[in-house]
Amino acid sequence: MLKKTAINKISELAAVLMEKGTLLAPVKEAAGFNFREISDAGQVNLHFHNTIISPKSAFFPQMEDFVRYQTGKSILEAAPVELNLKPVFLFGVRPCDVKSFEIMDIHFSGTGAVDPYWKKRREAATIFGHAFDLNEAADPAEFYHTLGIGAADPQGSDIFMVTKDNDLLFKSITPKGKKLLEELTMLTEASAGDRKYFEDYIARGHDYKTRFASVEPKAIATEFESIFDNREFWKNVSNACLSCGVCTFVCPTCYCFDICDETLFNKGTRRRVWDACMFTDFTLEASGHNPRTNVYQRLRQKICHKYSFSIRKYGVISCVGCGRCTRYCPVNIDIFSIVEQAVKAKWYKRL
Amino acid sequence: MTSSFKSIEENLKAEAGKLLESGRVEIVLAYGRGYDENHPMPFVAKHPSDVANMVFNEYCIHNLARYLVRYPRGTKIAVAVKAADCRAVIQLIQEEKIKRDDVVFLGIPVYGMKNPKTGEIIDSKTTCGMYNPVLYDVLLGEEVHGQKIVSPYDVLADYEAMDKEARWAFWKKEFDRCIRCYACRKACPMCYCDPCFIDQSKPRWGDKSPQSHGNLMYHLTRFHHLAGRCIDCGECSRACPVDIPLYLFHKKVAKECEEMFGQAAGMSIDDKPALVNFRVDDSDKILE
Repeated sequence: MLKKTAINKISELAAVLMEKGTLLAPVKEAAGFNFREISDAGQVNLHFHNTIISPKSAFFPQMEDFVRYQTGKSILEAAPVELNLKPVFLFGVRPCDVKSFEIMDIHFSGTGAVDPYWKKRREAATIFGHAFDLNEAADPAEFYHTLGIGAADPQGSDIFMVTKDNDLLFKSITPKGKKLLEELTMLTEASAGDRKYFEDYIARGHDYKTRFASVEPKAIATEFESIFDNREFWKNVSNACLSCGVCTFVCPTCYCFDICDETLFNKGTRRRVWDACMFTDFTLEASGHNPRTNVYQRLRQKICHKYSFSIRKYGVISCVGCGRCTRYCPVNIDIFSIVEQAVKAKWYKRL
Repeated sequence: MTSSFKSIEENLKAEAGKLLESGRVEIVLAYGRGYDENHPMPFVAKHPSDVANMVFNEYCIHNLARYLVRYPRGTKIAVAVKAADCRAVIQLIQEEKIKRDDVVFLGIPVYGMKNPKTGEIIDSKTTCGMYNPVLYDVLLGEEVHGQKIVSPYDVLADYEAMDKEARWAFWKKEFDRCIRCYACRKACPMCYCDPCFIDQSKPRWGDKSPQSHGNLMYHLTRFHHLAGRCIDCGECSRACPVDIPLYLFHKKVAKECEEMFGQAAGMSIDDKPALVNFRVDDSDKILE
């Protein structure tokens, strides 16, 4: 089913979705775009390349409350925080980010241990994927092409959107998306020309070039295993690393978290908060021992987790090439260059 | 520009090569190629052959003084420094984190440095506004003279026009956007505490979750830890992924310190940090 609406009528669509549930869409903020819960339909802004923080926060918010308690009282009086979600519409997600949800599903529900918070939020959501603008050059930091993701791949979305001149075309991909599209009566029927444009656009998405390196998952896992103990390599690539958490916080596939008890006077909340393997205290043990005291060990962990351990455990590279880590790194460390070096340069042999 | 970026780059390569070859230093901290021209990276040269990979252009904004404390004491290091970076090294010497004899200052006289994210010239807006390093062993270009001198405190005009309540509201709003990635403290050459107070768990000074009170605790404490020490390189603000204008607070405190104690941070290796040094004639303004 293919429908359409004029782009300048997007706030009307937003208003309808807000009536049906919670709408999360790109909003322009001081530093750039981010997905936010929309309170005013006029806020929705699709003139963006991609957001600063990835849309993972729709399902895995930086802070998620689990239990509220009072100190000094019985544990039986502690109250679990229930998630009562209205339907959620996640609007305008780029194809590489849509792919990240599939990878995150493995960690949060695919391995047997199911995270109820992630699962509930996933089930409540309808995803409106949105193709990149193929007439615009790719951001120099991006490399989703390397991971086999097209700039206009509809897989993983419930409804996929393509811009055609002043119109926005909507195609239902899943039954859930189809049902919703049928309900959105303010959208009009697309023409045969629109249908052809849509199909051509998806095909053209595969020819749209970001940075590219030939990466075969098993081969790259082996490569990283072979250089794991090569301290010179890791020290060299981490010389500039500040060991801050920007890369992991903006990353769509980083999922490490900490469970914190935060108490004010006698009222406490046990909550989950994003953590980062780049932080010094991430691996700090209760004894005071820290197995990763050096920056190179932490950067190695981050890269090997995505390009080696994840492949060995689940068969997938845990990276979608969105380029956020590179774009927001204060010192311009580029994961793509590190992977490229590991694959082909073998520079360490000269030492 | 008195010396072009290209000629500074050539001088940097030549001088770094000489220092490494003669064994005068073990390490040269400079700039190297990043993933494209607009994104150079901090770079460490250990062999004379490494210098071929050095670059210098208007996007080499990083303050390399940040990396000095990462190496064991006594390591002989040459560091490429712009004016503010040079002040950071001096401040680190004042604070006895490094020794003067262990550092070779490769001074870079320069103006027109740009923020790669916005393309905007940062000279006095987010940095100290000086063009020439205050101390150097080798100068990698000709000193800049005749360029208009702009006070680094000029950008405070709008901020200073706010009253107390407005400033409180301003910072609360800005800090509510903080995601606690700690890029600001990690990019800061003067933030070398290990562990940082906010990472301590006994006692815990602030919550880990990105909420108002924890964010305020972190930023306000960090601001005050840097009073009289911040050399106004602006790296904290540029490192911030959500563009919180941290430089405004640092500049304001630096200005007040300068007025009260007649001393700016990192201007001379013979100074003592303003808040460490007690002088009978020190200002009592803060108590009024």
